[in-house]
Amino acid sequence: MKERSKAYQARIDKALSTPKLQQALHQFGDAYLVSREKAFAGLDFDKLRREIGVMKDDVRENQARYLQQFIENAEAAGATVFQADTAEDANRYIADLAVKQGVKLTVKSKSMASEETHLNKALEAAKITPLETDLGEWILQLSGQRPSHMVMPAIHMFKEEVAELFSKETGQQEPADIAHLVEVARQQLRQGYLDADMGISGANIAIAETGGIALVTNEGNARLATTLPKTHVALVGIDKLVPTLEDAAKVIRVLPKNATGQALTSYVTWIRGAVPCAEGEKDLHIVLLDNGRSRLAADENCCETSRCIRCGACANVCPVYQSVGGHVFGHIYIGAVGIILTAFFHGLDNAAEIVKACIGCRSCVAVCPADIDLEGIILSLRETIADKEGLGSGKSLVFRKVMRNRKLFHGLLRAASVLQKPVTRGERTIRHLPLFFSPLTEWRTLPAIADKPLRDVWPQQNLVKPRKTVALFGGCANDFLYPELGTDLVEVMNHLNVQLTYPLEQNCCGVPALYSGDKETAVELAKQNIEAMLKDNPEAVLTTCPTCTMALQRDFIEHFKDDPHWRAKAEKLAAITVDAAGYIVNQLGAADQFVDLPLAQKVTYHDSCHLKRGAGVWREPRQLIETSGHELVEMEHADRCCGFGGSYSLTSHPDIAKQILGDKLKDIENSGADCVAMDCPGCMMQMRGGLEKNDSKVKVAHTIELLAAGLRAAKAKQD
Amino acid sequence: MDLYKQFCTAVEASGAVLLECKSTADAVAYIAEQSRGAALVPVSASLERVDFAGQLRSAGVSLLAVDRSQAAEAAAGVTSVCFAIADTGTLVLESTPEDVRLATTLPTRHFAVLDRSKIVADGLAAVDSLRRMHQQERRNYIAYITGPSRTADIERVLTIGVHGPKELHVLLLDDWSSDHLEM
Repeated sequence: MKERSKAYQARIDKALSTPKLQQALHQFGDAYLVSREKAFAGLDFDKLRREIGVMKDDVRENQARYLQQFIENAEAAGATVFQADTAEDANRYIADLAVKQGVKLTVKSKSMASEETHLNKALEAAKITPLETDLGEWILQLSGQRPSHMVMPAIHMFKEEVAELFSKETGQQEPADIAHLVEVARQQLRQGYLDADMGISGANIAIAETGGIALVTNEGNARLATTLPKTHVALVGIDKLVPTLEDAAKVIRVLPKNATGQALTSYVTWIRGAVPCAEGEKDLHIVLLDNGRSRLAADENCCETSRCIRCGACANVCPVYQSVGGHVFGHIYIGAVGIILTAFFHGLDNAAEIVKACIGCRSCVAVCPADIDLEGIILSLRETIADKEGLGSGKSLVFRKVMRNRKLFHGLLRAASVLQKPVTRGERTIRHLPLFFSPLTEWRTLPAIADKPLRDVWPQQNLVKPRKTVALFGGCANDFLYPELGTDLVEVMNHLNVQLTYPLEQNCCGVPALYSGDKETAVELAKQNIEAMLKDNPEAVLTTCPTCTMALQRDFIEHFKDDPHWRAKAEKLAAITVDAAGYIVNQLGAADQFVDLPLAQKVTYHDSCHLKRGAGVWREPRQLIETSGHELVEMEHADRCCGFGGSYSLTSHPDIAKQILGDKLKDIENSGADCVAMDCPGCMMQMRGGLEKNDSKVKVAHTIELLAAGLRAAKAKQD
Repeated sequence: MDLYKQFCTAVEASGAVLLECKSTADAVAYIAEQSRGAALVPVSASLERVDFAGQLRSAGVSLLAVDRSQAAEAAAGVTSVCFAIADTGTLVLESTPEDVRLATTLPTRHFAVLDRSKIVADGLAAVDSLRRMHQQERRNYIAYITGPSRTADIERVLTIGVHGPKELHVLLLDDWSSDHLEM
C-alpha cells in the first residue's frame, strides 16, 4: 500500500475511535436540519438556488469582463488590486507589503483563502505575527491545527481542550465554561486590534458593479480588523465575484441560512475603497487569488463547482463527514466541495484518497445552494485519478475482461454460487467468511449468490389480454442475489394485468465500474443494455434498484452526449425507465389495487439515496405501504444513507460504512417497527446483513415483496 | 403581516432589545438608564437635529470624544440608523465615517435610533438604497447589523458578545428621519 493510503487509513482509524467527535457532528447535523428548515420557511429553495446557479455561470463564462470591471471600480475608489496566480504569489505580495510597511503584528479575521495559501506560515517566515481573531480560528492557531469545517473551523474540539489552551495563554486556570471562555477571548484579543498595523480579511463576495467586497460574519472581529489597523488586506478568491448588488443580496439571502440555519449573520459589511482611517485614509489592498480557480472554471466536467458560495452545507449533511470529520474527509477545504476544490487548488495527489471517500448518497446535492451536482463531479474526478494512477489490477481485470463479457460474467457468478457452498452451509446468507475475507462478515452477513438466478426461474405468464407489456431491468442484485424479488414483481404486475418480460441480454448497469473510475467499461455496458432493453420495444422498463434506475435514466445519456446515434437510443430508454413503485402509483394509477391486504404489520420506510435524491421517488412507496394496510411509522433520518454504497462498504471504506450502518440500525430499532421497507437491493443487503448480525427481530423487505406477500395471503384466504 | 410587525418580531428573534418610544425624551431617558458608563455619540444629521448628544448629557450621561484612545473605554455607543430590513430585523448604518464604526464595534452596548417608517421588506428591497449610498460616496463602509455579536465556535453553543457589542438596543421613534440615506 502506498504511504499516502496508509496515512489516510490511519486518520480514518483515529477518527472512528473518537465517538465524542461523531456524537458532536451528529448532533450538529440534526440541529442544522431543523434550523435550516425554519430559516427557509416560506421561501422556494429550489428557485433560489437555480437563480444563484445561473448567475454564477454567467460570471464564470464572462470572468475576464467582470474581473476587469471589479478592478477598475476598486481602483477608482482608492484600493490597490493585485492579481495572484498562485498561493505563493499571494503570500509573497502580502508578506512583502507587511515588511515594507514595518508591520509587526497583523490581526486576521476568518479567511479560508488564507488557509488555502498557508498565509500564516509565510508571514511568520517574514517575522510578522499573524493573530487569528475569529474565535474558532484562534483556538486552532493556539493548538496548531487546521479547520475541520469551512464555517465552524473548530467544530471538532471540546470546551475542555479550549480551556486548556486558553489557560496556557493567560497563565491561569480557566474553567471549561463556554461563556467564560468566550469572554477570555474577547479580553485577550482586544488589544491586538489596537496594536496591529495590518488587518487581513477574506471576502464572501466581490461585487463587480461597485468594486467593493462584502463580509458575512457573526463575531464582530472582521469589523474591528478592517477598521482599526491602518492597512487592510483582503484576500479574495476570484470565484467570489458577482455582477451586481442584487446578486450579492441573493447570495447573502441563502448563505447564512444554508450554512448554519441562521436567518442572517449579525454583520454584513460592505467595504469599497480607501475609507477614512484615523487622521487619513485606509491603505486597502485587494489580492485576487486564482490558484487553480481558472483551471476549475475551464474544466468541462468540474466547472459547475465555480458556483460554490462556501456555505459548508455539503459537509453538514454528509454521513461520511459525520462519521470521520473534516480532518479525514477533506484537505484544507472539506466535505464534498472540498474534495473538488482540493483537486484544483492543492493538486490531484492531495485529493486522490478523499475522492474515494464519498459514498455517493447525494445528500449534499440536495442541500447545495448553488445547485452543483457534487456527486457527479466527484465521480468524474475519480475517473481522472483512476486514469492517472490506474484502477488496481484486480478491479481492472474484473471490469474490463469479465463484466464487459456478459456470458463470462454471468458464468462466473453461477460458478461462484456452487463454490460458495462450504461457507453458506446451505443458508441464504453468509455469516462468516474464512481467512482474510473475515472482516467482510464481522459486522453484517452477506447474501449468498442464489442457486438459480432470476433469468433461470422467470415465470411463465398467461395473461389473456394484458393492458401493458413492460420489461424488467433486474440488475445484478435482483438477478443473482434476490431472484425472488423479481418473481414477486411478476406477481404484482400480473395482478394489475401487466405482462412483465426479462430480456436475457441485459448486463450489469455499469455503476460499479463507473464509481470506480472505469468509464470505458461503463460505456460498453451501457451499449449492451440499451440494445437489450429496447429490443422488443417495451412500453416501459421497470427497475427494482434505484442505482440501476439512475444509470438508465441519467448516466447512459451522459455517456453519449457527443454521440448522436447512441444518445438518441439512450434518451429513448431513459424516457421509458421507471422504478416499480413509481410505475404502479403514477403511471398505472393503481395504488388502490392493493387496499387492505392481509399480513398488516408495523412498517418503517428507508429512503434509498438514489431513489429519493436521484429519481425523486419517496411518496409512492409510502402510499403503497399504507394503502395495503400496514401501519407506517417514520424513523428518524429516514433518508440518510445506510452505508452500503456498493464497493464502498465491501472494499474501499468498510469501516466508515459500518459506522453509517450502525446509525441506521439504531434509527430502525427506535422506530418500533416490525419491518423496515425499502426499494433497493443494495440497501436490503446492507440492512438485512446488519440486523441479522445483531440478531434483531426487525425484518427487511422490498416494497414489492410486501405487496406480493399480501397478494399471496389474500389469495390463500379466498381459496 | 405588515413590515413593522415583521421587523419587530425579527429584531427580538435576533437577540436585540426593542423599545417603542413616544418621544425623543423617552429614548434619552432609556439610554441614560441603560448605558452604564460613558458613551460615544458620533455626529450624524438626525442626532444633530434634536441635539441628541446634548439631551443625553443633560440626562447625566457622560460622553467621550470619539477617537481611538477613548473609544475602547466606552460602555455604550449611540447612533442613528439609515433604514432597516424587516425579514431579518437588520439595521443599516452608513459607517464610512470612522467614528460610527468605533462607536458600534468597541463598546459593550449599542443603542440605535430608527424611524419607524424606514423599513423595507428584505435584502433585495434594500438594494435600491444600498446602491444610492454607493452613488453618493466614492468610498463606503456600510454595515448591516442584526442583533448583538455572537459566536457558536465552541461546541456550537450560541454565545452572545464575543468581539462586538454584547447588547443591541433598537429604539423606535416617529418623525425622526424620513430619508433612507440619512443617519
